[in-house]
Amino acid sequence: MPQAILSGIKRGDVVLELRGITKRFPGVLANDQIDFTMRAGEIHAILGENGAGKSTLMNILFGLLQPDEGEIYVGGQKVTFRSPLDAIEMGIGMVHQNRKLVLAHSVIENIVLGHPRAGKILNLTQARAEIEALCRRYGFAVDLDAKVWQLAEGEKQLVEILKSLYRGAKILILDEPTSALAPPETKKLLASIEAMSQDELAIVPFITHKLPIVLATSHRVTVLRQGRVTARLETVHSTEQSLAKEMVGREVIFRLDRVAVARGEPVLQVQNLSARSDRGFMAVKGASFTVHEGEIFGIAGVSGNGQQELAEALTGLRKVEEGKVLLKGEEITHAPARRRWQRGLGYIPSERNTVGSIADFSLIDTVLMNYYFDHDYTPRGLVDYARVRQLTEDLIAEYGVATPGAEVKARNLSGGNLQKMILARVLSRKPRLLIANLPTQGLDVGAIEFVQNKLIAAKRDKAAVLLISEDLDEVLSLSDWVAPMYEGELMGILPGEGALREHVGVLMAGGAKGEEATP
Amino acid sequence: MKLGPYRLQLQKRLALSSAKAGAISLLAIVAALALFSLLFILADVNPLTAYQKIFSYAFFNRFGLPLTISRFAFLLLASLAFILPFRAGLWNIGMTGQLYLGALAAFAVIFLFKGDPATGVRLPPALLILLMLLAAALGGALYAAIAGFLRGSYGVNEIVVTMILNFIAFWLVSYMIKDGGMFMNPGGRGESFELPAAVRAPMILGAPFTIYLALLLALLITFLFARTRIGYEIKAYGQSPAAARYAGVNTAFLPLLVFLLGGAVAGLAGYHYFAAVPGVYKIARNYGFFGDLAFYGIICGLISRGHPLAAIPVAFLFGGLSIGGRFVQGELNMSFGLDYALLGVLMITLVAFQFFFRYQIAWIKTDKEPRHVGIRN
Repeated sequence: MPQAILSGIKRGDVVLELRGITKRFPGVLANDQIDFTMRAGEIHAILGENGAGKSTLMNILFGLLQPDEGEIYVGGQKVTFRSPLDAIEMGIGMVHQNRKLVLAHSVIENIVLGHPRAGKILNLTQARAEIEALCRRYGFAVDLDAKVWQLAEGEKQLVEILKSLYRGAKILILDEPTSALAPPETKKLLASIEAMSQDELAIVPFITHKLPIVLATSHRVTVLRQGRVTARLETVHSTEQSLAKEMVGREVIFRLDRVAVARGEPVLQVQNLSARSDRGFMAVKGASFTVHEGEIFGIAGVSGNGQQELAEALTGLRKVEEGKVLLKGEEITHAPARRRWQRGLGYIPSERNTVGSIADFSLIDTVLMNYYFDHDYTPRGLVDYARVRQLTEDLIAEYGVATPGAEVKARNLSGGNLQKMILARVLSRKPRLLIANLPTQGLDVGAIEFVQNKLIAAKRDKAAVLLISEDLDEVLSLSDWVAPMYEGELMGILPGEGALREHVGVLMAGGAKGEEATP
Repeated sequence: MKLGPYRLQLQKRLALSSAKAGAISLLAIVAALALFSLLFILADVNPLTAYQKIFSYAFFNRFGLPLTISRFAFLLLASLAFILPFRAGLWNIGMTGQLYLGALAAFAVIFLFKGDPATGVRLPPALLILLMLLAAALGGALYAAIAGFLRGSYGVNEIVVTMILNFIAFWLVSYMIKDGGMFMNPGGRGESFELPAAVRAPMILGAPFTIYLALLLALLITFLFARTRIGYEIKAYGQSPAAARYAGVNTAFLPLLVFLLGGAVAGLAGYHYFAAVPGVYKIARNYGFFGDLAFYGIICGLISRGHPLAAIPVAFLFGGLSIGGRFVQGELNMSFGLDYALLGVLMITLVAFQFFFRYQIAWIKTDKEPRHVGIRN
C-alpha cells in the first residue's frame, strides 16, 4: 500500500521534496531547477505572477505533467507520477480553481465518486459516517445530501477538499483557493485550512496576488518569477511590500492617490433603471445616478448583486425594462451597442477571454473589434489592415503588452497582457464614458497597478469613468463617488473622499441604506 | 514508443502552415485509397487496376472528365453554401432544399415568359438566362432566410429548420413537376419541361459557364472573409457571438445575412445542375439524387475547414471519385453503391487525419536512461 509512506508522519517531518524540477515547453522554460520542501502541518504558499510557472509546478506535483529533469520525493522515497492517479495513491490531493464536480449529483455522491472502495454498489451509509467524521474534525459545515448545483462557490470548494481528504490526501494542493469566494466565505475557508494544518496535513495554496491572505495564513512562502524560485521566506518576516517586490521584481505601489480633476458636464445619466437577469428576475431595481466628466464613479458589491446586468444594460447588451439612460444628453436607453460605441462609450467587460476578446483572433483582429465600424479603418467596407496593424503595433508598444508580435493570437496572451491589450484598444478610442467591469480581477500585482493607473489617466483626460469592482479597497482608493450595490439596488451614493471602509462594507452586505449624497 | 536512442512522442502543434495542411490531406487521401483497396481485394479485383480505371475515367477520359467537371462545380457551390454560414458558426444542412427552390425559381422564369411553343421565347435569351440566374439565387436565398431569420431573432436551431425545409422542398418539387404540376413535362414522364435550346446555359471552353461562376464565387468569398468589414463581422460572430455582440455586431441580422448568402449560392447550384449541365436541362426524375449529393457540400466544407479556396481541390476530388467510382462499378461488375462507399471512406479518413492538424509526431532523442515508474525501493 503506497500510502503507507505517509502514515505515521509527525508534525515537522518532511513529506514532500522537489529537487531541481525543470520543465520546458516549446520556446518557454516554465520551471527552472525548482527546489521545494514541504513539512507536515505546514501551510506553504507558492506565490507568483501569472506565467511565473506556478501552474506547471502544480501540474507536475499532481502528475498531470512529467518534469524534463528533477526528482520528486514523497516521505523520503523517490517517486514518479505517470498520471494524477499515481499522485493520489501517494496521498496528494488537488483542488482545482475550476471546480470538477458533477452538478446534478449530491455532495456525498461527488465525494465517493472515483473512490476505489466505492465499487459497483455504493455503500453510502459507511461513507457518510466517515465523511461526517471528517467534517466534525475540521469544522466543515456542508449538507451531504444537497445537490452540488445548489451550493455556493465556497461550499463547492469544501466538497472538493472533502473529496481529497476522503481519498486519504495528506498533502493538499489548493489552486488559488480564494479566487471565487466572497469575503465571509474566504474567512471560513482560511479557518478550515488552519484547522487542517493543525492535523499534520501539509497544504500548498497557489496564490497570485492575494498577498494579505498569504501573510495571514501561510507559514512559509516560496516566490516564483519567470520559472525560478526567487525567494523562500518565513511569513513572519515578510510584508506585503517585500513579497510583492520578490514577485514582480521591483517596488510596487499599493495605494494610488486620488487625483483632483475639475468636474465637467454630466456624461452618463441613469434614471430609475431596471433590468432583468438571464433567469428573468429583476437584477437591477431602479438605479439612478449621474457620472460627470473627469470623475470616477465606483460601484462596489459582491458579485451577483446586479452589477453585471447594470453594465450590460448601459452598454446595450441587455434590454432595459424601465427607466432611461442618457449619454451626453442623448437618450440611448434602447440604442444598439454599436451606436453607443460611436457616441463615445468604451466598455471593458469583466469576461476578458470570452467577451472582451476572441481566443483565435490575432491581436490585429482583436484591436479591430472596436474599430471595424470606423470608416477611417474600413473605408468602403474594406478593412485597411495596414492601418489596423500600425495601430495595433503602436498600442502594443505604448501599453507594454508582452507579445512576440501583432500576429499572435489572443489566446496566447497571459491574463494581464490580454487585459492591457483590451484596455489599450478601448482607451485609444478616447471614450467620453468608460465603463470598466471588474477591470483588475484575476490580475497580478503589477498588472493591477497598471490598469488602475490607466483608469486614473482616463479620468485626467476628462472621461467619465464608471468602475464596477468587487474589491472594496480598489473602489475606495480610486473613486470620487462610491455606490454600494446590494441585490440590484444602489444602497447610497457616498463621496469617495472620507468614505469609511466599514460603512461601505455594511451597505454592500445590505445594511441600512446610507444617506444620499447628491453628486 | 521507443526506437533505439529515439522516442516517438505526440506533440501539440503551435502553428500549421497551409503547405503542411495540404500535405497531411494528401497523405489522408493515399491512406483512404489504401484502406478502400480491401473492398476491391475482397471482390477479387486488383486495386491498382481499379484505381487506374477510376482516375483515368474521372480525370482523363473525354466522356468522364466533363461529368467530373459538372459534378465538381455542383459540389463546390454546395460547399460554398455551407461555408458561408459555417464561418458564422451556423450549420446550413439545407443546401438540398435551397437548390430545389433555386431550380424551381429558375424554371419559373421560363414558365412565366415562355411564348408559344413554335417561336420559343419572347424575351431575348441572354436576358432570360440572367433572370434565371437571379431567380435561382433569390429562390435559394429566401428559402434559407427562413432558417436565418428564426435563428437570429428567436434563437431557433438552424440545423433543425434547414433539415425540415429540405423535406418540404423535396415534395414541392415533386408537386411541381409530376403529373398535373405546373412545370410538368408534356410527355408526363414525372419530370419538368425541357428548357428551350436558346435558354440553356452557354458553354465556355467546352464547359457550362457555371463552372467559372463557381470558381469566381470561391475567390469572392475568400476575399469577403479576408478583407471586408462584413466578413470580419461574420468571423467574429462565428468565433464568439458574445464577443461580437459586445463589439456592436447586429447579432439578430447576421444569421439572416449569412443564410441569405449561403442560400443564394445553393440556389445557383440548383441552376447549375438542372439548367446548365449538358444532357439534363430539366428538373430530372431523379432530382433527389442531386439533392442528396448536396450533402457532400457539408463534407467538403468541413474538410476544407471553411476555406473557400481549399474547397476547390476537395470538391474536385470528390466529384471525380464519385464519377469514376460509378464507372468502375459497372465496368468491373461490382456491387451497387461503390461510389458512395468510396466517398464515405475518403471522408472518414480525411476527418481522422485532421488530428494531425493539431498534433505532430516528433522524434525525441533520449540520451538519458528513462526514469522508473512508480517507487524505486
